[in-house]
Amino acid sequence: MKESRLMLIQYGTAVAAVALVSVHLVMQGVIVPYATAISFSNILSIYRNGFYAIFLEAMLVVVLVHGFNGVRIILHELRQTKPWTTWVDAGTVLAIVVTVAYGTRTVILAVFGGVSA
Amino acid sequence: MAVGEEKAENRRGIRGWLSPYHYNAERWAYLFQRVTGVAILAYVLGHLGDTSFFVGGPAGTGPSPSGWSFIGSIFENSFGHLILILVVLVLFFHGVNGVRLILAELGFIMRKPSAIEYPYKPRGLGYGQRTLIYVAIVAAVAAAVWAFLVLFEGMG
Repeated sequence: MKESRLMLIQYGTAVAAVALVSVHLVMQGVIVPYATAISFSNILSIYRNGFYAIFLEAMLVVVLVHGFNGVRIILHELRQTKPWTTWVDAGTVLAIVVTVAYGTRTVILAVFGGVSA
Repeated sequence: MAVGEEKAENRRGIRGWLSPYHYNAERWAYLFQRVTGVAILAYVLGHLGDTSFFVGGPAGTGPSPSGWSFIGSIFENSFGHLILILVVLVLFFHGVNGVRLILAELGFIMRKPSAIEYPYKPRGLGYGQRTLIYVAIVAAVAAAVWAFLVLFEGMG
């Protein structure tokens, strides 16, 4: 993918992250008290609300793509050899896939998994 | 000397970021944007790990009250709350300063370019950019105070 397009993705995910994280923060101490917000029953009800589960998944993808692509940009600024560029790009994709997969697993288990003791 | 070697000699790398010699406000904002970005990513990775304990951790199979209370016993204390306040501080700076960078990239807050003359102050950086840097700092401090009130004073 062209670097110009990757920068557009970086800006797009930045704007989306500002919006999504703002809502996330507001829900952690403005709409409900912090102690209630982090209680098990409240978090379970949030995960099992389909809309908010999708919201959390979207935030997961947006923040991780923005974060790892940001690190990729920094690493490309530090060094520009061909092998370095290739490894950094491959590592970025791998890091995004692994972390999004792990976060998605949490969302899926929270939404569909049975509550244990 | 090969072209690659010449580039290597000219490259300052992270030392170039961290040397404040001749830095102006925009250059400091650039440095803090990078540092806060890496710090936020580190926090997000940790947050991915701690929220996974809501479903019992890496080996969990579903929502687990015991897993969640375990992770709460580690992070729900003054030290954990202090970390959260620092996260809110850098998050707001990074977010507002990031909006400034996007606006500058799109040309909205850049002044008309002109010839560089003594004392060589960059003329493309207008009041809009400077103002947004200060807004980012004020927003970050205000958000950190809000986080302090929520976490330590029970407000919110």
